[in-house]
Amino acid sequence: MIEYSLIFLAGVAGSWHCVGMCGGFACALGSDPRGRAATLGRQLTYNLGRVTTYCFIGGLVGFLATGLGTSGADAPPTSGAQRILAITSGLLMVFIGLQFLGWLRRSHGLPRTGFGGQLLARALRDLLRAPGPAAPLAFGVFNGFLPCPLVYAFAAQAAASGGALPGLLVMLAFGLGTFPAMLLMGGLGGWLSRAGQVPGGILPLRWRQRGVAFAGAFIVLLGLITFARGIVPMGGHLHAL
Amino acid sequence: MSAAASTPVLCSHCLLPIRGYGHERQVQGEDHPFCCYGCCLAFQVARGEGEESEAAWLLIRLGIGAFLAMNIMLFSLLLYSGTFEQADAEVRQVVHLVLWVLATPALLILGWPLFQETWRAATARRLTSATLISLGAGMAYAYSALAVVMGGSEVYFDTATMLLLLFTLGRYLEASGRARAMRDLAPMLAAEREGVTVVDGGTEMRIPAREVTIGTLALVRPGERIALDGVVVEGSSHVDEAVITGESRPVAKGPGVAVLSGSINHDGALLIRSTGPGTATRWARIARSVRQALAQQSHAQRLADRIAAGFVPVVLVLAGLTILFWAQRTSFDEALLTGLAVLVVACPCGLGLAGALATTLGIGRLARRGCLVRGGQVVEELSGVRVVAFDKTGTLTSGATCVTGIETDGTPADEVLRVAAGLERSSEHPVARAVVKAATQRRVSPALVRPARAVPGRGILGEVAGQPVAVGSGAWFAEIGWQVPVGLVGGAHRLEAAGDSLIYVGWAGQVRGVLALGDALLPEARATVQAVRGMGLHTVLLTGDRAEAADRIAAEVGVNACEAGLPPESKQAALARWRGRRGPVAMIGDGLNDAPVLAAADVGIAVGSATDLARETAEIVLPEGGLRLLPWVIGLSWAVRRTIITNLLWAFGYNSIGLALAVSGHLQPILAAVLMAGSSLLVVANSLRLERFADLSDGSRPVDASAFERRALRHRTRPRGSTPQPAA
Repeated sequence: MIEYSLIFLAGVAGSWHCVGMCGGFACALGSDPRGRAATLGRQLTYNLGRVTTYCFIGGLVGFLATGLGTSGADAPPTSGAQRILAITSGLLMVFIGLQFLGWLRRSHGLPRTGFGGQLLARALRDLLRAPGPAAPLAFGVFNGFLPCPLVYAFAAQAAASGGALPGLLVMLAFGLGTFPAMLLMGGLGGWLSRAGQVPGGILPLRWRQRGVAFAGAFIVLLGLITFARGIVPMGGHLHAL
Repeated sequence: MSAAASTPVLCSHCLLPIRGYGHERQVQGEDHPFCCYGCCLAFQVARGEGEESEAAWLLIRLGIGAFLAMNIMLFSLLLYSGTFEQADAEVRQVVHLVLWVLATPALLILGWPLFQETWRAATARRLTSATLISLGAGMAYAYSALAVVMGGSEVYFDTATMLLLLFTLGRYLEASGRARAMRDLAPMLAAEREGVTVVDGGTEMRIPAREVTIGTLALVRPGERIALDGVVVEGSSHVDEAVITGESRPVAKGPGVAVLSGSINHDGALLIRSTGPGTATRWARIARSVRQALAQQSHAQRLADRIAAGFVPVVLVLAGLTILFWAQRTSFDEALLTGLAVLVVACPCGLGLAGALATTLGIGRLARRGCLVRGGQVVEELSGVRVVAFDKTGTLTSGATCVTGIETDGTPADEVLRVAAGLERSSEHPVARAVVKAATQRRVSPALVRPARAVPGRGILGEVAGQPVAVGSGAWFAEIGWQVPVGLVGGAHRLEAAGDSLIYVGWAGQVRGVLALGDALLPEARATVQAVRGMGLHTVLLTGDRAEAADRIAAEVGVNACEAGLPPESKQAALARWRGRRGPVAMIGDGLNDAPVLAAADVGIAVGSATDLARETAEIVLPEGGLRLLPWVIGLSWAVRRTIITNLLWAFGYNSIGLALAVSGHLQPILAAVLMAGSSLLVVANSLRLERFADLSDGSRPVDASAFERRALRHRTRPRGSTPQPAA
């Protein structure tokens, strides 16, 4: 369980990154005129949609990755394919974590015209303005698919987790970790827009940078654990940590 | 965090400093740095404009459907991976029930539009791809529901919902891809709907271009499209007239200068007074032509449609047989899944797009350079052309008489020209105008002549400073008894041999010089012909002119073959001959004198003639002075054909391989749905590559319209030289 707690904490730390990007969405979804409970409902629906997507990604990659090995579900990585997967995922996580720490330059080639991206952006824009209780849920679902290095890192871990359930749990822990900051942003949304503030601007930049660096450290740590599970012969005990 | 020492660049969206390579993107005309692609997208979401409630409604349905389908999928994955294996059968029953509860609304939300489409098609006795998907999803759902009620061991709600979700998603992406393909075409179709800002005594009002009348005063801001023909009243700017002239170099415009509807105003606001009704502009005519062209399907598309229509019933039968076959060998569950996979993977969606999208993109690309085609099939026919026949006068040559050479007896050529121009100055004859023009070009001021006698068609006699001077034909000089000096006879013969007509110039009883008059080659003629030859096409010059003149032009431009002295009927015979010898022939003419010849060619191409394709015998019309566009147009038609072929190969090959895998039981239905959605997306992506087909380069600068606009915005203040005029 320690591993999931670590992931949860990484999610909490990483949400300082989210505040900048997705926090804006939470603000934009705004408050419901029918009162605080309705606002909370709106924000919770949005986050539910977002976390469902994360869980889906986690469960799916976990399941697909199990197909690589002959071992059953949730077993220690014994097959060669599983080991290679754990090593690659671990390295990928360390790489992303180091980028968060600012020790590595971001070099991922971002698509120049990004057709899919533009499409996603337009879809989200249309949803953001749509009325009704279903729109935040749909918005959250699509939001979850936005390209995000944090999600990539944990999806990598989910892939190496050895099954649909652990994969799902990895992403669930991460998703729940992002809840506090996102809900806070959603609650502050109305107040912020009245004050004419940029969502990312309310928190001192240094705090946010520290939060992001913190998340990076967590990801590096988790990446090393995943990596170790691919290397250490009796990797199982690390998993039971 | 040492990098933060210098002022860091902040991400426009999340305001975090950008380390290393950021991501720069233009959003609404401004450059914004972003720390990551996600922020770039999010920024566009937040800043974008346009409220499309219908799109939003569709997306909400898709989002809710995805939410339900993902939950179903998660539970199913847990079932598959044996998470509930230890639990007793009751727990499994509960999970199955939960799946059923989730799948029912998902089926209705995602499937409803497809069921409706299936029903509509069925009442019209047709089967479409929606039929296949509806049937597949419905079957999976009904079977699973039955299994829950009967206490069966396996349910396939995940298959039912994922099929619908993936199909819907594929359609959505495909539709967006098409919308993107149309994005550049849209302004070509909207000529009469384009808004015009009318200025009327201090008030501004937006009206559609079709309501513009003569004298309407309109304001066009930088970056806007000029939607009316008119004259600049106030302001100065550079405009891009590519849509009309095919020339994407900016042209300077100031007060008193005419502007054309359809051009894009770059850097300054212009106040324009309309000179014609908004429905009669060339751009409006282009828009009508493009609209008609798009309505005409290409041969390939018609064929693909016919195949696709026959495909669906075959697939239905095949799926039925597959289920029967496998039901006898394995469990009914597996047989059913195999049958579903067959239904899904064989969906011929990509086939319907293969030709239409590529042709449309091609027509759009051409239209943006002012090149009009009659329909999709023309692009296809042009790509199959093996011989390109050129008309001479007005196509390779300017069609206007000009001075092409001067021979003298030793007198300076300028002196001869000075006298000739002086004599011809008062005449309106084309030859006379050509002489005066030549003098002007060489900066020779015509001599002051007191005219004495003019014999129409023969020559003119006059007086310069009391001395008799004359200009005219050789026969005229023989008539008045002036001698041709021996030194000039050779030169005159040389000029005559080149196929030009000659005029003699003389004074004081003697001929002093000979001017050759002919049809001047267009400056781009040689490069164009060479480029066409370089593409491996046979080039032919067909002309009604004398052989000498034709041979000179043929040698200068370097065509493969030249046939001269052909009356129009013989030109048609020549075309037939070349067609028999080498294959399909394209004929390029001015569309005025050679209309029947253009009509007789496999592809008739008119340069700069009537803009109304409906009244034109040619299938392709290039803009005025657009001969140089020819190689690009042919190249584009090749690219379109390549795209169609790869699309069709892909769609067919993919479907066949997928079908073989599915029938043999090697494909999961969900995987089949992923493959099927991927197939049509790949067709869209492959077609969109046409967007990247190199645009024509004007001068040294590679032309990229968007890049250019960006540059123009950035260097708004820098003056730019006007277009260099081609030397006559």
